[in-house]
Amino acid sequence: MMKNLRILALAAALALSGTAGSALAQSTEVNIYSYREPGLIQPLLDRFTEETGVKANVLFAGDGLIERVAAEGELSPVDVVLTVDIGNLAAAKEQGITQTISDAALERVPEAFRDPDGQWVALSLRARVFYASRDRVTETALTYEDIAGPEWDGRLCTRPGDHVYNIGLIANRIAVWGLDETREWLAAVRDNLAFAPTGNDRGQVKSILEGSCDLAIGNTYYMGLMLNNEAEPEQKDWAAASRIIYPDAEGAGTQVNVSGAVLSKWAPNAQNGNKLIEFLLSDEAQQLYANANYEYPVVPDVQPDELVLSWGELNASDVPLTEVAAQREAAAALVDELRFNEGPQD
Amino acid sequence: MTARTGRGRPLPVASFLLVLIAGLPILWLTVAALGAAVEGRSGLSATMLPTALRETGLLMVWVGLLTSVFGMIAAWLVTHFDFPGRRVLEWALILPLAVPTYLAAYAYVEVLDFTGPVQQFVRLLTGAETLRDYWFPDIRSDAGAAIVLSLVLYPYVYVACRAFFLMQSGSIGVAARTLGASAWRTFHSVTLPLSRPPIVVGATLAMMEVVNDLGAVQYFGVNSLTAVIYSTWINRSDFGGAAQLAVTIVLIIAILILAEQAARRARLYASHRDSKVPQLREPLSGRRGALATGFCLLLLLLGFGVPFGQLAILALRNIQPEALALTAGTGLTTTLLAAAGALITVVIGLFAARQGSPRAHLGARSAIRLATLGYAIPGTVLALGLLQPLGQADLWINRTTMWLLDWRPGLILSGSIAALLYVYAIRFLAVSHSTLDAAMRKRGDTVLDAGRVLGVRGWELLWRVDLPTLTPAILSAATLVFVEIVKELPATLLLRPLGVDTLATVVYGRANVGLFAEAALPALTIVLIGLVPMLLATRLSGRRD
Repeated sequence: MMKNLRILALAAALALSGTAGSALAQSTEVNIYSYREPGLIQPLLDRFTEETGVKANVLFAGDGLIERVAAEGELSPVDVVLTVDIGNLAAAKEQGITQTISDAALERVPEAFRDPDGQWVALSLRARVFYASRDRVTETALTYEDIAGPEWDGRLCTRPGDHVYNIGLIANRIAVWGLDETREWLAAVRDNLAFAPTGNDRGQVKSILEGSCDLAIGNTYYMGLMLNNEAEPEQKDWAAASRIIYPDAEGAGTQVNVSGAVLSKWAPNAQNGNKLIEFLLSDEAQQLYANANYEYPVVPDVQPDELVLSWGELNASDVPLTEVAAQREAAAALVDELRFNEGPQD
Repeated sequence: MTARTGRGRPLPVASFLLVLIAGLPILWLTVAALGAAVEGRSGLSATMLPTALRETGLLMVWVGLLTSVFGMIAAWLVTHFDFPGRRVLEWALILPLAVPTYLAAYAYVEVLDFTGPVQQFVRLLTGAETLRDYWFPDIRSDAGAAIVLSLVLYPYVYVACRAFFLMQSGSIGVAARTLGASAWRTFHSVTLPLSRPPIVVGATLAMMEVVNDLGAVQYFGVNSLTAVIYSTWINRSDFGGAAQLAVTIVLIIAILILAEQAARRARLYASHRDSKVPQLREPLSGRRGALATGFCLLLLLLGFGVPFGQLAILALRNIQPEALALTAGTGLTTTLLAAAGALITVVIGLFAARQGSPRAHLGARSAIRLATLGYAIPGTVLALGLLQPLGQADLWINRTTMWLLDWRPGLILSGSIAALLYVYAIRFLAVSHSTLDAAMRKRGDTVLDAGRVLGVRGWELLWRVDLPTLTPAILSAATLVFVEIVKELPATLLLRPLGVDTLATVVYGRANVGLFAEAALPALTIVLIGLVPMLLATRLSGRRD
C-alpha cells in the first residue's frame, strides 16, 4: 500500500515539477524567493517585465528561504533572494549560497550598505526610530543614551528584544559603544519599560494611543503605512497620536537596517538575476519602492516619499553593516543574559 | 510486507517503515541537534528556556483543562438531553474548528484591545480617555491566550466525547438513574469517569496544537517554547541549537503520551456496546433547558461567532475585484491540496490504526505512536527537517538520471507539491490516526471475525466489512485533516513550489505587512471552506445515528 502511494506521489511530483524544468531551458525568466510580501514588490516586477521582457516568478515566505536554497543546492530554480534584515544577508553569504553581483549594480550603492565581496547589496534603508506620544512627550530631540535616564522610568515600550529589528539596533550599539557600555544601556532601557516587550512595531503605536506607554522603538515605515491606510482609515488616528524622533540625529546618527538582494550561486538565469538587481537599484525603481513602502532609497540621489521627508532628515549611522552583522550574536546573547523579554527587573 | 514470528504475531516491519518515513524530519533534526552538540553548542542553555517551559506548560495545562470542560459538557448535554435548539447546536458546536488559532487571536485582540468596540464602549460610558483612567483586562496575556485558544480548540474534545457517548450503550446511565442517582450525580460519578479516554484524546490534540502554535501565541505575547526555538534559529542563526530544543520537546511529549497510555492500559473500561439500550435524551425545559441552550450557544458565539463576525465585517468593508480573484484562485488550490492531503493522510491513518491495534505487536504499537508525533512539532521546524533530506534525495535522483539517461528531472521532491503532501501526512497523521484508532477499538474485531467465518477474505473483507463499518470515523477523520490542511500555514509557506499559493499563505503575506483589510476575505474563505466538509460529514454521520 505504502509503495503504491509513493509511486503515486512521485508521478504527481513529476507532473507538477514542470516549472523548474522549463526555467532551465529558456532564459526569459527570473525566479525569486522573497521575504518581502509580494503585494509590495509586484508593481516593481511588473515594471521590470515591461522594460526587459523577462518574466518574474516569485515565491514568498517569512522565514527559511535561505535554508531552502541551501537544501536545493545545484538544482535550485532560484536566481535572486530578496530579503530584509542584515542578519539574513550575512547568513546567505555565510551559508555559501551566493555569487558575486554585477559591478553595475554594486556601484550604485554606498560602501556601508553592500558586502565588500559583492555577495549582497542593500535595496532600501529602514530607520529604527522613536515613536513619541504627542501629548506626553515634550522632547524634540533624543539620543540613544537619553532613553536610559530615570525620567523615562515606566514610559518605554518595544517589541521583544530578540526580534531581528531590535537585534540589529543592539548590534549597532555594540559596534559603536562596545559590549560593556551597551549592556549597561540595555539593562537601563529594560528597567524603563512600561511592561514586558510584546507585539510588533504597530502594536507599540497602539500602546502610545491607549496611554500605557509614552515612547516606543519602531521602524519609520510602519508610521507611513498607518498614516496612509485607506483600507482601515481608523489606523490614521492611531498613528496620529505619535510623532517620530530620529535618535542621535545631531550626533553619530540613527541606526538603519536594510532590505537587500543576493544572487544565488546556482542561479539558472544569472544574467536575468543581475538585470533584476540592477533594475531595482535604478532611479525609477528606487523611487517607486520608496513611495510604496515609505522606506529610504539606498541610492544617494533618490529622495524618500514626501510623508517621510515631512518627518525630518535622516542622518544614518555610518557603521558598516558588516560590523553590525558581526555583533548580532553578541546582541542576541545580551538580550538573553539581561532577560530583556521579561521586562523591568528593578 | 509482514513476516511472522514464532508466536504467530506479525513482525512490525511495515510499522517501522512507516515510522521511518514519518520520522524522517525528526531523525534529521536529531542529526542536526547532535551535530551542534558535538561542536559544543547547546540550544538548551538559552536563558529564556525556563521561562518558556513554565509558560508553555501552564498554557498547555489551562488549554487542556478548559477544552475538556467546554467540550465534554457540551457533548454530554447534546447526547444526554433534549433542549431548545439542540438539533442545530449539536452540529454547530464543531464550527470553531474551522477558525485557525492565528485568526482567532487576531480577531479577539481587535475586539478587546484599546481600539476595539468593547473598550470604546467602556470609554463612552465612563468618559475615560486613556487606559490610565480605567482598568480593563489585557487580552494580550497568558490568560487571554489560554481562553481564546480553548474557545477554538474545544471541538477536539467535543467531537471525541460526542462520538463516544453516541456509541455508548445507554444502559449504564439508565442503571444509575434507576438506582435513584440524579442527572448530576450520574454525570460526575458515571459519565465523567467513563469518558476519560475521549477527553484525553481530544485534549491531547488541543495541547499539541498549543505546543506547535507560533502565530497566535506570539500575538498574545506568551514566551513559548516554539518562540524560543524560532529565536534560536532566526535571531541567533543557530539551527543546530533550535533542533536540540525541538527534539527535546518531542521527547517530552512522547514520554507524556506513553505514560498516559500506560495509565490507560491499567484500566480498560468495558466500553463495548454490550446491550442495545439506546441513549435516551432526557427533555429539559424551563430554566434548565434555557441553561443548556445558553451554555452551548455561548460557546458557539465565542468560539465561532466573534472571530467569524470580525473577519466578515472587515471583508465586507473592502470588497475589491483583485481580492475576489486572488481568493478564488488560491481557494481552488487550497481545496485541491487539502482534499489530496486528507485522502493520503486518512489512508495512512487507517494503515497505522490497523498496525497499532491492541492485537498487534507491542513494538508496532509504540512505533505507530512515534509516527504520530509530527503534530507536536512547529510546522516550520518540521518543514526544515524535511527540506534537507528531500533536497539530498533530489540530488541523488538527478545524478542517477543524468548518468543513466542524460536528463535531469529537477526538484521533483523538494520543489513540488509532493513535499507538501508529505509534510501534511506527517503533521496530521495524529489527527486521522486517533480518530480511526478510537473507532476501531470501539468496533472491536468481532465484525471482521464474523466476516472471515462467512468466507470473506483479503481485499473483499476490507471493502465489504472493514471500511463500511468505519465509514463515520473515516468521514470525520478526513474532515478533520481537510480542515487542518486548509488552515495550515508554516509548513506550506516554506515547502510550496514556486507559483503555488494557498489561502493561508496569502493571508499571512498580507497580514505580515499589516494589510489586515486585504487579508480578511481570504481569511474568511479559510473558515468557509473548512465549514463545507464539516457540515457534510455531520449530515452523513447524523443519518447513521
